[in-house]
Amino acid sequence: MNDMRIAERDVDSMESKITARKVQVFYGQNHALKDVDVDILDKTVTAFIGPSGCGKSTFLRCLNRMNDTIDGCSVKGSIKLDSEDIYDPKVDPVQLRAKVGMVFQKPNPFPKSIYDNVAYGPKIHGLTRNKAELDEVVETSLRKAALWNEAKDRLQSPGTGLSGGQQQRLCIARAIATSPEVLLMDEPCSALDPIATAQVEELIDELRSQFSVVIVTHSMQQAARVSQRTAFFHLGNLVEYGETGQIFTNPKDPRTESYITGRIG
Amino acid sequence: MTDIMGSAPVPASRARRSSLMAQDALSKRRNAAEARFKIYGIVAIVIAMLALVWLLISIFSVGLPSFRQTFLTMPIELPADKLDKSGVRDVAVMSKVTTVGYAAVIQAALEKAIKEKGIDVGTMTPKDIAGVISLEAPAQLRNYVLANPELVGTTIDFEVLANGRIDGFFKGRVTMESAQLDSNVKPEQLVLAEKLTEAGIMAKRFNWGFITAPDASDQRPEAAGLGVAIIGSFYMMIVVLVLSLPIGVAASVYLEEFAPKNRWTDLIEVNIANLAAVPSIVFGILGLAVFINFAGLPQSAPIVGGLVLTLMTLPRIIIPARAALKSVPPSIRDAALGVGASKLQSVFHHVLPLAAPGILTGMIIGLAQALGETAPLLLIGMVAFVRDYPGMPLDGFFNPASALPVQVFSWTTRGDPGFVERASGAIIVLLIFLLIMNAVAIILRRRFERRW
Repeated sequence: MNDMRIAERDVDSMESKITARKVQVFYGQNHALKDVDVDILDKTVTAFIGPSGCGKSTFLRCLNRMNDTIDGCSVKGSIKLDSEDIYDPKVDPVQLRAKVGMVFQKPNPFPKSIYDNVAYGPKIHGLTRNKAELDEVVETSLRKAALWNEAKDRLQSPGTGLSGGQQQRLCIARAIATSPEVLLMDEPCSALDPIATAQVEELIDELRSQFSVVIVTHSMQQAARVSQRTAFFHLGNLVEYGETGQIFTNPKDPRTESYITGRIG
Repeated sequence: MTDIMGSAPVPASRARRSSLMAQDALSKRRNAAEARFKIYGIVAIVIAMLALVWLLISIFSVGLPSFRQTFLTMPIELPADKLDKSGVRDVAVMSKVTTVGYAAVIQAALEKAIKEKGIDVGTMTPKDIAGVISLEAPAQLRNYVLANPELVGTTIDFEVLANGRIDGFFKGRVTMESAQLDSNVKPEQLVLAEKLTEAGIMAKRFNWGFITAPDASDQRPEAAGLGVAIIGSFYMMIVVLVLSLPIGVAASVYLEEFAPKNRWTDLIEVNIANLAAVPSIVFGILGLAVFINFAGLPQSAPIVGGLVLTLMTLPRIIIPARAALKSVPPSIRDAALGVGASKLQSVFHHVLPLAAPGILTGMIIGLAQALGETAPLLLIGMVAFVRDYPGMPLDGFFNPASALPVQVFSWTTRGDPGFVERASGAIIVLLIFLLIMNAVAIILRRRFERRW
């Protein structure tokens, strides 16, 4: 299995952004993730698929250490961002999260204005020197998140007053306002209708030119549509990882085939 | 088992036959139970409302008259030979004349006024005539003259308090019949009071003294006021607010957001809940032992009262504050951490503002409870008879003072019926303060909520 993955990676000439080796995650006694080895490539959309409870969200949350906030969760193995171990005791998770942004399953804008939502990250990280720069960051972030046209006339109205799809794009704008290097998305479209989903998917494809995007999804169609690389998780194991086209048309592991054809999961 | 299986189709067929227009037995029972429950609820609310209305009617009917008081207004001659023999108008020298000297001055003025108006006093002795005036009146006049020494030698129009029994006569508390049995007042004095009223010397007006004046001794309920008690309660509330808001919020934020969930924090949580249930008088004993006997702080001082009430209020603030923090959705914390905010930033920028209305409500309810608390204050000596106003903050926090609920308690223990009215009046003042605090709580909550 490992051999196959290495073979796949050799095909891709792009450099890897995140390198995970032998990652184990425990929730107390529960061994949630076993021996996961993944290389996430720069400027690529990587999709994590798998049945519920397979550990794909857990692994995603390892990548920006959001698991630290869960009591009794421990992570072993090594995860390197640009060859720096993010679980090194010297690493401040707060700094890490500024580099590895995250968009959550449920849109969770702050109960503040649209402007303040986007401006919050740059403000706390001191990324701008004055109001004009901040305005510019807010505008470009909202433009990148394809929300500018809808929101430009109501920047001071509350972010919670937007529709679900708009809220999720606002959360994406908020995440990219801090200029992260990697954007993690945990089922970003599960609470959205098909039209909003299409908008977000389009957006993900555009974001690929600037960031490495990792997306967890339950929809195999979505994984097939937006991602270049796909990882299939099952029962805490990484079963197969490779180019999306290959995973969906010619899976090497029988479990992957069963899942994408709807027999398990 | 087979029996149940066998009988199963029977109810089904019965159900099929029943009409929607007629209720079956089960529905009837269920609906009856629901109707009964609604009636219980309405009865409970009616009983509660009746109790409230009864309480308010009894307090207001007894207490409202204390806001009006009978006064005598008459010209008073201030003879220089009696009040300032030295003639230099030196206050230090003048203060050698006691209230006895001023009582004679007032008595002379009243007799003169009665003569001028042509009022027939019959066989009343001068002492009886002077008895319609409050025992407090000489002190009132003396204070006024000592504050304005240049008035000696002139004649001033001065307003003095009428005696409590005379005041009670105009408020219906004292009648001719009761006066015959009462050694403190004679029916002739009541007749004289009626004549003085007709002559325009005696009249009832709004009694600012009830709110501003200090307490008075047992013999002169007409002079007793809430001034010292209101200042004392106000100072204590400042102490409680200044101490319990930061401590309470810091404790609840730490326990809710930062503390590890282990046996120790569980123990702390249980004990905070227990503290909220500790009888308040226990905190009084604690305050007496720690703040007065050990720390050596003065008795009857608002600082000690405030500290004791802070101890009592803290758990009552921490519990609702933690509930308010807990009710903030975790997605907000995730969102803040996800954009790279530190734990502290996520709490102070996002969680705390969202929890603020709940924290504020708990805070003000805790303060309101503290304002009405009596028992612990009795133990630290706030029930003492205090006639001197406490000074300005911060020194004033260490001066003796009273407190509103304690004043109510001490007035209800006194013999003169005039104090019953005062006690109810003090309760009205206390209720007004509580209403104001609740209104502030609602306004603050609205304002904070409007932001989102």
